[in-house]
Amino acid sequence: MDVAVSVKDITKKYSLYKDPWGPIKEVVTRKKLHKDFFALMGVTIEFPKGESIGILGKNGSGKSTLLKIITGITEPTSGKVDVHGSIVFLDVSSGIDSELSGYDNIFMKGTLLGYSKQEMLAKIDDIIEFSELGEFIGQPVKNYSSGMKAKLGFAISVNVDPDILIVDEALAVGDSSFQKKCMEKMNDFKLQGKTIIFVSHDNHAVESFCSKAAWIHQGELITYGDAKFVGSMYAEFMSGRKPIESIQAEIQYEHAIEQVHYGTTEDGFNLQLNGFVRDQQMVDVQGRFQLAIRDNRTGETVMKDLEPASKGFTVSFSETEFPLFFKPGKFNFWLREEMENKKAVEFSIWAGKADIREQQSKGADHFQYQFKVQQNSLELAIENIGKVEQQVNRIWVEDELLHIEGVAFVRGYETKFENDVLMKFYLTDLSSFERCVFPVEVSETEEITENPAYNPQGKVYNFSRFKVVLDMAELEPGRYESHLSYRMANAPHHRFLNLVWASKLNEYPREPYSTETYTADIQTANKYLRLEKTAKS
Amino acid sequence: MFDIYKEMWKRRKMIQALSIQEIKREYAGTLLGFVWGLANPLMRIAVFWFVFSIGARAGGPVDGAPYFAWLAIGMAAWFLLNDGFRLTQKSFRSKRSIIKNTPFPVAILPAVQILFSYYIHLILLAVVFVLTALSLQTVSLYNFQLIYYDFAALMLLLGIGSITAPLVAVSKDFGRFLDTILVFLFWMTPIFWSADNLGRFEWIIKLNPFHYIVQGYRDSFFYDIGFWEQPVYTFYFWVLVFIFFLLGNYLHKRMKPIFLDTL
Repeated sequence: MDVAVSVKDITKKYSLYKDPWGPIKEVVTRKKLHKDFFALMGVTIEFPKGESIGILGKNGSGKSTLLKIITGITEPTSGKVDVHGSIVFLDVSSGIDSELSGYDNIFMKGTLLGYSKQEMLAKIDDIIEFSELGEFIGQPVKNYSSGMKAKLGFAISVNVDPDILIVDEALAVGDSSFQKKCMEKMNDFKLQGKTIIFVSHDNHAVESFCSKAAWIHQGELITYGDAKFVGSMYAEFMSGRKPIESIQAEIQYEHAIEQVHYGTTEDGFNLQLNGFVRDQQMVDVQGRFQLAIRDNRTGETVMKDLEPASKGFTVSFSETEFPLFFKPGKFNFWLREEMENKKAVEFSIWAGKADIREQQSKGADHFQYQFKVQQNSLELAIENIGKVEQQVNRIWVEDELLHIEGVAFVRGYETKFENDVLMKFYLTDLSSFERCVFPVEVSETEEITENPAYNPQGKVYNFSRFKVVLDMAELEPGRYESHLSYRMANAPHHRFLNLVWASKLNEYPREPYSTETYTADIQTANKYLRLEKTAKS
Repeated sequence: MFDIYKEMWKRRKMIQALSIQEIKREYAGTLLGFVWGLANPLMRIAVFWFVFSIGARAGGPVDGAPYFAWLAIGMAAWFLLNDGFRLTQKSFRSKRSIIKNTPFPVAILPAVQILFSYYIHLILLAVVFVLTALSLQTVSLYNFQLIYYDFAALMLLLGIGSITAPLVAVSKDFGRFLDTILVFLFWMTPIFWSADNLGRFEWIIKLNPFHYIVQGYRDSFFYDIGFWEQPVYTFYFWVLVFIFFLLGNYLHKRMKPIFLDTL
């Protein structure tokens, strides 16, 4: 492989002084008065000839410093740079003098790039044509709009025919047709086997244009490789979904879920995952990791250590171990490593080729479980089979007892007797995820049966009223969300679990309930019933 | 030891092209262009002549040379030294936008400014030469010695510029200091007064290498003295230039990584 540019172990240090006299005081007192700022730390990249390589990174990450070192504008504090071929740094504004005319600027910039007047004369027609400036080429550049300046700068840089073209976020200026023209010109470059180094903070541009990409974050090279891979990592980081440590860990290890086996038994849902985690020396390292499953909505997480298996690891979860964790919602799968400082690093485990199998279902009274692989990670979606219609009609407090009264029914499932349905009420603490269960009293009402809007077919939903009484004095302080489970005693034996819907705002207490020791606030702002209890100090 | 000067020699075409660009840039937007490069120094010569000759009644002939011609030739030399000195020390700082954005052999920038000053100087020199030749009604072979003194002046400026430019690029204060020094040098170089007036302290003035150039100009015009006729002084001058070159090369190497970051 021919190398166009190689940088080896480049470090760039800037000394930052608070005091303008700092450098002089430092010489006199021989004390360190500056802060070291590392714009680049030990970056090693080889840019192969004839490829277009993207450099990704957010503003201030050090990517421009790297370019300046490659082009020789700045010298590295340590490390080695090798450049094979002529470089043009396509930065639209550089070397353009606003006092001179566009025409003179072409020669000016040509001179700076090391071309003689004769060489530039040979190119000048192409440059003027490419720049689309027409008769304005004779006007001083100070009269140009910023778009025109950019066009001129770009036209000069691409037409001087360098071996290596470095593009620094230049395409953001100029109108779309000019941008297209620039892209075409750069594609021509690619076809001619020239090297392009393309710097951007936009992963889409890099993914579509470059074959390889490097990602620099806070002066460090996070990863260098296939543009699509690096781009997707970068996008995940930039969207805030993943911290940098997770991505570093993710790149550091090779990991995958290979098999997903799931099913339901009498005891409920269970799940077995098989896969591997290896470090770069291909050694299995599952001992360090736990597998964590997280409820996307609430953030509730359960985790278990990975068990060694004949090939890689295995880990299983069941509803008996984690009651009420696997409920309607969406779940993601993470590898989790505890670091020395007690902080945990998590990253999404790769599941691009996972083999997902449902095993024989023995219990029929369950939810619908669905596994999907999205962007190479595994996602579990749990849904109710069918739908519970529900509403809280009234909430009131009496002697610290909270009364919640409402209706719940499933269309098509008749409830003629009290035993036809079994309901339970749950409160879940939103920070500790501890749960309390409360009995629900089911009683008779004609509210649904007699309402033609709900019951056009004339079915019987007599036992659809529910009532919960909970003692707020006994509740631990905290924020709670509430679930109602609905279980059919007869066929088809479905079970439902829903957040409690409470949209009749006028029927609920408006002021928080307050005693000498605590305040309890019924929150229904987002239509789901929540309860917050705060202790008084 | 002389890396930056080798670089300049290698890029002499680029220096030439850039100095032409510099002239274009300097007079871009003006209608009269380089006429302004002529008008200003001529005006200053006239003012000095008026002040010293008419105002202070001090303008007698100097060793037989008419004061006005003597002053004009001295000033012509001085303007080259003055402009070269002033522009080279700022040569990195004034071109920071180029230095920061374009891969470019920065070492040649002082030479660009010196060549630019020289072009302006040539125009002035031509006018002064014609005026003096007309008023003296003599043209001597010694006039060709100007080529030697111009060369000496350019080398001196290059040496000094290579020292000052990186220092000024690192510290703006140093630039202010040099501006102040330049005013001092202007009065301490015998331009509108004769070094002979100092008597036995003349040697102090002679330490100033600028004096070598100004005096050389006058020798070539009025006194028909060749530079080989004062070998010690010539030797001293070139040793000094040599030291400046060494120091300039060293400072450039030393300061370049710093000013590339701090500019």
